[in-house]
Amino acid sequence: MENISFYVDDKEVIIDVDPSTRLLDVLRIKLHITGVKEGCGEGACGACSVIVDGVCYDSCLTPVANVIGKHIITIEGFRNTSQYRIIADAFADFGASQCGFCTPGMILNTYALLKNNPHPTEEEVRVALSGNLCRCTGYNAIVKAILDIAENGGDIEW
Amino acid sequence: MVNHHIPSTLQEALKILDKHDCYIMAGGTDLMVVKHQRSGLIPNFDKDVCYIANLEELQYIFEDEKGVHIGAGTKFSDIEDNELVPEILKQIIHELASPNIRNMATMAGNIANASPAGDSIVGLYLLDAKLELVNIHGSRMVPIKDFIFGVRKIHRNQNELIKEIFIPHHDDLNTYWRKVGSRAAESISKITFAGGYEVENGKVKDLRMAFGSVSITVVRERKIEEKYIGMSLEELHNHVEDIVMDMSKFVQPITDQRSTKEYRYKVAMNILKDFILTIE
Amino acid sequence: MPSNFKNSTVKIDNEEKMAGLALFTDDLPAKDFLWCRPLRSNIACGRIRSINIPKLPKGYYYIDARDIVKENVVNIIFSDWPVFADRRVNYYGETIGLLIGPDKEVLEELARMSQVNYDEETPEYELVNSQIHKEFKKGDFEAVTKDYDYTLTETFETGYQEQAYLETQGMIMWLDGDKITIKASMQCPFYIKNAVVRTLGCDPEKVRVIQPAVGGAFGGKEHYPSMMAAQMATAIVKIKKPLKMIFDRGEDLMYTTKRHPSRTTYEGYIKDGKLVGVKAHVRLNGGAYKGCSGVVLSRALIAVIDCYNVPNLDITGDVYITNTMPTAAFRGFGSPQTIFAFEMFIEHIAKKAGFDPVEFKLNHLVEKGMVTAVSGKFHDDIILPELVERAMEMSDFKRKYKEYSQPGSNRGIGLSTFLHGCGFTGSGESTIINAQLKLTKDENDIVHLYTSQVDFGQGNRTTLKKVVSNTLGIPEEQVTHEAPDTDHTLSTGPTAASRTMIIVGYLCEKAAKHLKEIWKPGEYQEWIEPYVGPDYIHWDEDTMQGDAYPGYAWGVNVIEVSFDPITYQIKIEGCWSTYDVGHAIDDRIVIGQADGGLAQAIGYGYLENMEVAEGRFRQKTLSDYIVPTAVDLPMMETELIDNLFAYGASGAKGCGELTFVGGAPALGHAIEMAIKHDIHKIPANPEYLMEVIEHGKY
Repeated sequence: MENISFYVDDKEVIIDVDPSTRLLDVLRIKLHITGVKEGCGEGACGACSVIVDGVCYDSCLTPVANVIGKHIITIEGFRNTSQYRIIADAFADFGASQCGFCTPGMILNTYALLKNNPHPTEEEVRVALSGNLCRCTGYNAIVKAILDIAENGGDIEW
Repeated sequence: MVNHHIPSTLQEALKILDKHDCYIMAGGTDLMVVKHQRSGLIPNFDKDVCYIANLEELQYIFEDEKGVHIGAGTKFSDIEDNELVPEILKQIIHELASPNIRNMATMAGNIANASPAGDSIVGLYLLDAKLELVNIHGSRMVPIKDFIFGVRKIHRNQNELIKEIFIPHHDDLNTYWRKVGSRAAESISKITFAGGYEVENGKVKDLRMAFGSVSITVVRERKIEEKYIGMSLEELHNHVEDIVMDMSKFVQPITDQRSTKEYRYKVAMNILKDFILTIE
Repeated sequence: MPSNFKNSTVKIDNEEKMAGLALFTDDLPAKDFLWCRPLRSNIACGRIRSINIPKLPKGYYYIDARDIVKENVVNIIFSDWPVFADRRVNYYGETIGLLIGPDKEVLEELARMSQVNYDEETPEYELVNSQIHKEFKKGDFEAVTKDYDYTLTETFETGYQEQAYLETQGMIMWLDGDKITIKASMQCPFYIKNAVVRTLGCDPEKVRVIQPAVGGAFGGKEHYPSMMAAQMATAIVKIKKPLKMIFDRGEDLMYTTKRHPSRTTYEGYIKDGKLVGVKAHVRLNGGAYKGCSGVVLSRALIAVIDCYNVPNLDITGDVYITNTMPTAAFRGFGSPQTIFAFEMFIEHIAKKAGFDPVEFKLNHLVEKGMVTAVSGKFHDDIILPELVERAMEMSDFKRKYKEYSQPGSNRGIGLSTFLHGCGFTGSGESTIINAQLKLTKDENDIVHLYTSQVDFGQGNRTTLKKVVSNTLGIPEEQVTHEAPDTDHTLSTGPTAASRTMIIVGYLCEKAAKHLKEIWKPGEYQEWIEPYVGPDYIHWDEDTMQGDAYPGYAWGVNVIEVSFDPITYQIKIEGCWSTYDVGHAIDDRIVIGQADGGLAQAIGYGYLENMEVAEGRFRQKTLSDYIVPTAVDLPMMETELIDNLFAYGASGAKGCGELTFVGGAPALGHAIEMAIKHDIHKIPANPEYLMEVIEHGKY
């Protein structure tokens, strides 16, 4: 066990934990951030996506030692931002969330994409989401929602 | 008792490795799968772990007159975005695993993991990449083909760490890449093939063929390649069946949960033919 | 462009799910709950000689068949599946007992140290032991075999399919006084309740089931949660501590129910340009226990000639018991298997007899008033020709069909037409389910709708509420519709069989109409509406004769593919669909079902390979069991055409399963055109296509 510190949703976290513990378990079990989901436990579904220093990670494959000193954004922090609102409104408009289990991860990956590339093509959207499995929507509404933001979002500050 | 070492400098890491037999944790995308037990439980490590993902000294890409140097800790997504990196490696990385994993995983990790289905390794074989291994006493350069010798088997001494991947310049090499996965993205390869060639005055000046997922390590046979160097393009095309015959001895895939040996063999050879016949 | 959906409202649970606020089973506060860790069989078949559990630390428990309170069966349609294996195991992974305690790590260690000794028996993996047989005839099939122009016999295979809901199976259970209270990832709260009542033999009042957020189900959470509940209930009455069981993905893939693999043989006869007779034998692999397989077989047989008119039939079907994981419900429930097979067969026989296959099959579409396969009647208007025409326009089908049929083209386009019977088979809604719906109005004139329908993504919490508010002519905000709690709702039946809108939606509408009639502002009022179906529906399950369903929904899928002759890989280039779901209560939600259903069907058709080797699934992770990613699918276009159904809410029928059943055959036709060979199996993965093309594999 070691004291490990990092930032989650802008709050400093210091925990005494085995450094190989999955970031996912730290977030869900120790910090009760249950908006982060476990879908497969092996980096194949993206439900556990979080943003680490600006890019998306699968928290199920991240030993907590790898995020020492880093800034993590989970859906529970991101949902308070104006960027979340834009994505969530588009998702709602197109019906991009059905059972909702993949949705927090999907939204964070969408944010990571638009931050880098505010006007992606359909192909770029699909590639950016290719690690986030959704079994309900066939991705149709999700891709359309993101393309709608890309087209009509203008000069949103991502 | 398993100890976890989290060095903050390369020197510190090398000291740790000198004293302890460790798993080396870079991005974690392979080790954390292999050592995973159940949700909520810590991974099942049977010896010490040394974490190197955050060593800034290992995160760099630069070039000199000889080639491109990629720090072992550089993440795939940073390699993919870097203009110094050879096009074929970018192509390979673009299709490798998923965007999140490309943000986490390192090329050195892919190498050290030494899976026959490790995509980036195939490109590195093709480009005659070398690895710089370091320990507290110094460093050595090893061609990648001499470093990997079996499924998850590498010639790394306990006290060594991959510090850098060196890729010699190949400014005139034309490349060809095919990944056959079980779906269009986020898939573990059934077969991969990287090809390279140079043609000068209608003659084959260089020819390279590397297969992944068809044997215990990447298959690349310089002796066979050399047989066809010097031929005219027409001769080369006429010898396509001979090339297939020559390579067939080395392409020995297996049947597993992802594909069959028959399919892997047949498709590997289809790709090889396509590569040879499209050389112009 | 914004979506511009007409008649659509944002789903009740939309924001909480996007924001990560919705609590799924594993998210629920469960401090001091004990973990349940199944001890599973590691052989496929044999007698249990002894079970040796290590000495348990304090606070740890082991529960198995010896602890059964009343009946060691899980209450599924045919109750032959034991709660815990008793003296013998019949499949690899069968639950022998539960190890229970506070620390997962300790439980893993206890599981490793536990030893079960068996007298192994030779397992059966082949389809030889039929335990359920059904058959029916129509017309005079024998006569047809004596006078025909062309005949063909072919066999088709379909594989396992895993539901792959993103949230794995999970359940928590605690005692509230002496009441067993359950929250779980589920489809059917009353199935769970009845399963607990049955195994414990307890008063139904002592069991309460509450639905938390559910992360997808697709049939996979119809029956399996009953098993978990029966196991945990057996434990909780003994140890009286709160319990939790959450499956990891690997467990979920290996040890929960899948879609039935099938092998169907068709023998068809053409005379004077018409398919006049079909003989079929449908074989389903039911796994080790019958469970719901008899009903799956029924539905497979009823759909045996899809939406085509064939006057003379000789149909048989069997469920074979094998020493493998039992198969059970999955979107479509038997009909995807036969609809795939028959769609392929009718095009094959037409082509081989010298007809244009698409023209030929469209000449056989059923029409209103015609006799169904099971000698019932199509009572309602059928707008298939309209659906076909529109789908062809949307996809530019005729031009592409001609172009891609040419030698040398590596493209293909395929069209499937199909039907899906909505609701329980035959008169089952009136005789077996007997749904009753409660609607109350409080003193503030807020209307409260109570159903047992689980919203696992389909949006029915929203649509059912909408039916009530529309009927009452009040704003949606004036109606509540909470997730089911068996203490508060009557049973409106399971969330299955595409029955939610056609049955429960209809009940909502009728109840709301009645409430409107008696409406007194400012007073508490209650209305209970029992389901009364169409009186012309009569069905005999034993003879498989009569009207199989209260109503049918219809659809057309067109899929375009390209083929890579070097790797034998297929790429989906386009998807166009038209559906008659009666009337969409909410366009956005129905289109969502259409997109997701077709995506899952495409996966079934060419990607999702699941094989058994020595009784075990070989694909144990989501890296090896391949479902489509965003890159594997193109943009899908869907249009709905209204065709109001008299016994549905505002004319609505079902749509959940309809959108699945036609995908694999449309894809199959497209693949055949692209590779210029016939196929007889799904998933049509590149390994199979290589065998077909290079070695003439059947």
